[in-house]
Amino acid sequence: MDELTARSNIYGLLSRIMLQELDVEILNTLMNDKTVLEFLPHWNEWEQRTSVAPQKLLEEYLNPDFTNLSLLHLVPYETFYTRADQMVETGGANPVTDIYSAYDFIVDYAVARVVSADHIGVELEFMHHLCQAQMKATQEGDTDAATELQAVQHRFLNTHLLQWAPMYLINMKYESRTPLYYDAAEMALEFILSDNETLTTDIAKAP
Amino acid sequence: MYLESRRTFLKGAAFTVAGAAIVKGVFSTDAAAESVENSKFTNTPDSLSFYPPLDQWNSFQELDGTDWKRGGIDRHGVQSEENPDGILVNDFMIVPTACSNCEASCGLTAWVDKKTFTVKKYMGNPLHPGSRGRNCAKGYAVQSQMYDPDRIPFPLKRAPGSKRGEGKWIRTTWDEAMTTIGKKMGDTIRKGDDLSKKSVMFHVGRPNENGFVPQVWETLGLDSYNSHTNICSSNGRTPTIWTANDDRTSPDWANAKLIFLNSSHAADAGHYFQQSAGFIADARKKGAKMVVMDPRMSNSAGMSDLWIAAWPGTEAAIYLYLANRILNENMTDKKFVKKWFNWETLMNDQEHLNFMLQKGQITKAPTGNGFDDYMDLLKDMYAPYTLEYAVKETHVPAYKLEKLYEMFIWAGDAISTYIWRAAAAGNRGAWMGGRAAYFCIGLRGAIGTEGGTFFHHWHVISVSGKGGSSTVGQGAGGADVPKIKVWNELTWPPEWPLSTYEMSYLLPHLLTDTAWQKKWNDRGLKVPSKLAVYIPRMYNPVWINPDGFRWIEVLKDETKMELTMNLSPVWSETNWYMDYVLPVGLAGERHDQHSEATFPARWTSFRQPVLRVALEKSGWKAKNPNRATLEAHVKAGLGEVWEENEFWFDMCVNYIDPDGSLGIKKMWESKRHPGKPVTIAEWYDAAFGDNLPKLKETAINDERYSKEEFPVYAYLRDHGAWMEEDKIYNAMERELKFEDGEVISHGHKFDAGSMSIGAAGVISAKDHEGKEKKIGIEIDGKKMEGFETLTRKLEFFTQWATDWHWREYAMPFYPRNDKEKTEMVHLVSHVNHMYMKEENSFALNTVFRLPYNIHTRSANSKHLMEISQNHDPIWIYTKDAQRLGFKRGDAMRVKIVDTVSGLDSGYFVAMAVPTEGVMPGTLACSHHGGRWKLTNHVTIPNGVSDGKIDPSTAPRDLSNKEFLNESPANIGKAGAQTKIDDYSGTSGINSFGVPVAELQMDGKVGKLKYVEGIKGFKAERFAQYNRDSENIWWDGLSGSWQNAVAAPHPDPISGMHCWHHKVILEPAQPGDKIGDIFVNYDNNLKVYQAWRDQLSRGLDSNSTIRRPRHIKRPWVSLDPSAYDVHIKS
Repeated sequence: MDELTARSNIYGLLSRIMLQELDVEILNTLMNDKTVLEFLPHWNEWEQRTSVAPQKLLEEYLNPDFTNLSLLHLVPYETFYTRADQMVETGGANPVTDIYSAYDFIVDYAVARVVSADHIGVELEFMHHLCQAQMKATQEGDTDAATELQAVQHRFLNTHLLQWAPMYLINMKYESRTPLYYDAAEMALEFILSDNETLTTDIAKAP
Repeated sequence: MYLESRRTFLKGAAFTVAGAAIVKGVFSTDAAAESVENSKFTNTPDSLSFYPPLDQWNSFQELDGTDWKRGGIDRHGVQSEENPDGILVNDFMIVPTACSNCEASCGLTAWVDKKTFTVKKYMGNPLHPGSRGRNCAKGYAVQSQMYDPDRIPFPLKRAPGSKRGEGKWIRTTWDEAMTTIGKKMGDTIRKGDDLSKKSVMFHVGRPNENGFVPQVWETLGLDSYNSHTNICSSNGRTPTIWTANDDRTSPDWANAKLIFLNSSHAADAGHYFQQSAGFIADARKKGAKMVVMDPRMSNSAGMSDLWIAAWPGTEAAIYLYLANRILNENMTDKKFVKKWFNWETLMNDQEHLNFMLQKGQITKAPTGNGFDDYMDLLKDMYAPYTLEYAVKETHVPAYKLEKLYEMFIWAGDAISTYIWRAAAAGNRGAWMGGRAAYFCIGLRGAIGTEGGTFFHHWHVISVSGKGGSSTVGQGAGGADVPKIKVWNELTWPPEWPLSTYEMSYLLPHLLTDTAWQKKWNDRGLKVPSKLAVYIPRMYNPVWINPDGFRWIEVLKDETKMELTMNLSPVWSETNWYMDYVLPVGLAGERHDQHSEATFPARWTSFRQPVLRVALEKSGWKAKNPNRATLEAHVKAGLGEVWEENEFWFDMCVNYIDPDGSLGIKKMWESKRHPGKPVTIAEWYDAAFGDNLPKLKETAINDERYSKEEFPVYAYLRDHGAWMEEDKIYNAMERELKFEDGEVISHGHKFDAGSMSIGAAGVISAKDHEGKEKKIGIEIDGKKMEGFETLTRKLEFFTQWATDWHWREYAMPFYPRNDKEKTEMVHLVSHVNHMYMKEENSFALNTVFRLPYNIHTRSANSKHLMEISQNHDPIWIYTKDAQRLGFKRGDAMRVKIVDTVSGLDSGYFVAMAVPTEGVMPGTLACSHHGGRWKLTNHVTIPNGVSDGKIDPSTAPRDLSNKEFLNESPANIGKAGAQTKIDDYSGTSGINSFGVPVAELQMDGKVGKLKYVEGIKGFKAERFAQYNRDSENIWWDGLSGSWQNAVAAPHPDPISGMHCWHHKVILEPAQPGDKIGDIFVNYDNNLKVYQAWRDQLSRGLDSNSTIRRPRHIKRPWVSLDPSAYDVHIKS
């Protein structure tokens, strides 16, 4: 169960970092949570993290970097990487929409502020929700549902995130101008690859 | 490696804040998502088809389009009780109808919102075989016209005590108007003399139906049905009449290899263009080439493979150049020519051969009368039409003509064309261009073939006036309606016996020209000097005809037009001078059977008042079944808006001949309910069922309709379109059918026993009245229907033309030198380059349409007016503009000069736009601009005070039984006037597109000057449909009213008003504004007289008949005696 909690938390954390600019509240978590800081070693060591006031840190360092990485320079959308014409599919033909719908998920664009449902932050949050659902099923003793949800996670990782996110994350890592996003890119890349191996192994072991 | 890091990631469980608290929470799994799952809607449909299958048309749920702008169901889910903020789902009833905004009759479907009983949108009709679910900008404008805030809401009457044109109006009732007009019509008809039968005139603009009102006029016994045709297309029809005795061309665009457009018509504006453009696109996708011949670079020309800008009116020279090469390079399809050209008639007419030799049309007499001799004669005759000659006369570069010939030959027998307006309508004698076109197409055997060119009557369905079996008196198909025994000289004047249609644009001139009336009365004819009743229908003769001031003069004169009324849904220049304006419906508000020859098939559409149909299909019944459409429109909040079919049924039975003494009442009395007018369902069930056997069989065997009281009507009510016959090729080769002692040709039956075969295989037989007719032709032992000509072949020698004094034009011909141009001036355009002697003189090309304008009716559609603003300047070739010092945007005076009389007509002021897209020496300016009105608003206070009756109390909702049970009582009668929704007593006049002008006229000179542009306004009526009426950035000026400056130019043969002008360009003078016009309409009368007297060859004391009996005399059936004439010396 700890493992599941850990996966859920990490997907949640990475989703939030990748989705939108940070705010002071989340920044506080990133600055103060020791476990988080262990995951983000360069950020941890970065002098400005502690010497610059949080609002200034956001406005002058982190948010400009985020804007560059997800709006101006790089394109954090699956279809940009998977379509031959490199067009972001903003309509109903986006390949993730059907999967979300199948599990009664619907993207609230007013909250997400993305142009389509295949944004990396949205896909990572979807994984987070699947983990949460698996936890709930496990707690309620519904083994079939828990197993199924694990399989869904594995499938979603392989048919979507792993198909393109590594490319984006590698780009992100080398384009980043702050340690936070550098570390977050590396952490995300390593985590999704690792998580895939975990799931592959666990599913293979299952009766 | 990664499994190692797994242990690291396990630390994630130790976050101080759980992931669930960190995530942004971009997913909702609430009602929005469930609402999508529970609905039929998806963002990933299997098909992108716009249209649901027919079985869902009575109830079709569709997501609201406006809400899609918010992001659709992915963001908001589907609206439901649990998810009120979701995307609205409309519950539609889809009712088919047909567009009426041009002549093509493309299919439409009205999407009637059941909850509000309004039309939310108009779309195409996927069941329509010609338009195939598609429409142009004008088609979609039907909705804005339906909910036009300025639409006329009730019958209007000129205020008692006021004069025509003062602009004082009162609200009246349908009953009052029908009583007054019906009595005047009945009293006039009751006189029974010849003059009264010519004095109740109906004058149709765009008919958009196939024979209904003509049938009414036939039952009234009147020869006074008038149409706009001679300002439209008669020069385009004349070549078809002379060649095939048919009304017009019928192309097979979709299968053609060469699409040969003689204008911008067909592909970017004008006849059938939306359907044609689709078929042309199909053909080009398959590799077809397109040639556009037009002095102006139209949209079509811009997309063509070859643009040929010929000097206006010289097109025949190009066709005859092609003919010369085809003949002399032995590229003729001899088999076709031998079979279907009437060569025997020519080769056996020694008198004519001698004439040709004498006139130099041929250099030597033929040595024999066989087919080879004929071919030799043709080679000889057309040899002078060399490349050098064609280049000199047409001003087209040689390389283009050579390219054209290559393409012509490459296309084989798959050359499709359409001869209609543009060149033909613009130029004197340009009917010969069409005839020469048919000639060279015929030489290649491309007539009647797949991908070729054919003729109209095989491809059209005309049954609108043939519902007679549903009436007491008409008999099946109108067989018992007496033929008319009088000839109206106002519509068919003796000077133009071969006029294609009525000389309608001369009506005010003929009524003014008392000397002309006296001349013919003295010679024994009975020419009316006035009209008792004049009824234009959806027509605006003041604005669209040449010499508009003359029209105003006559319309204002109550001694020349005693009672006038316009059946019109909108305000127009003409309505302003009427006694009554009676609002009848637009495309989705009226019944019409309407068919056009848009491809080689016979299809019809069925225009319907969609809101009435939706009500009836929901279970509503009208209180007065004869006024069901009027009741329905009142229920829908459109106002007291009716339709013509029910209006005329009621008029004939209850107002013109209420006691039946004129014999008219029984003609429109229902057989099922004697004493009452026939109903829509009764009439159309008979009209379609009696005349379209395949449709009838389909309808009565379809379980959805077999139990209906009127199954054929019900079938078309639900489908809106029908195709009786497809793939009609080489129909002239159809064999005569023999049944029960009768022989059938072209659908008509003759006595088989009387059949005989004459010269050149022509088969004759007697009809039911014992009259002998040419019914077919025998070739190689096969008895075929042939063409409708006297020789049953294509008449490239029109022998009968010699009887009507036009012998020199019996063969395709164009003057070959200056001497012939002077002698054969009837074939030379009045704007030929030989008349352009001044350095600032030009040929003005006026005959083209803007694709988004509908003659008169565009001005009530905001989006059509918005996109057409400032689109009607003077196109002038760049170097011509430079030479004369005109720059883009300059105002110019365009002075119109007649080349027959030498008289000036006046001028209009227009904006210069220098362009490479127009031929040097010519100008272009569409004559579809320059709308005007004299005031912005009309106040009719009794429109409020007289409307006290609430049409309904229940909310408008098709699922509300109370609403369906209600209907206004005594509709149209005094005391039953209904309240008009949101009507304040004052309404605008064409507020979206017509500026205010000042008009002055003194009987000889007229002036018009625009004084106020249009402005944004807050629409009160239909406010929800006109939310952006305040957003008007344009001033409404759509060009100059050049038609008023134009003098009538009657073509001496076809009777066509030849629209082009010789003009002199001058810089604008101080005080001139674009849009100003100055007209010497006294001179214009003299211009018409000059064309008449110097060019026409009318009846004389040797004449025995008014017109050839075998060619079409449109609209009403005349008794043979009506043709007889005796002209005193």
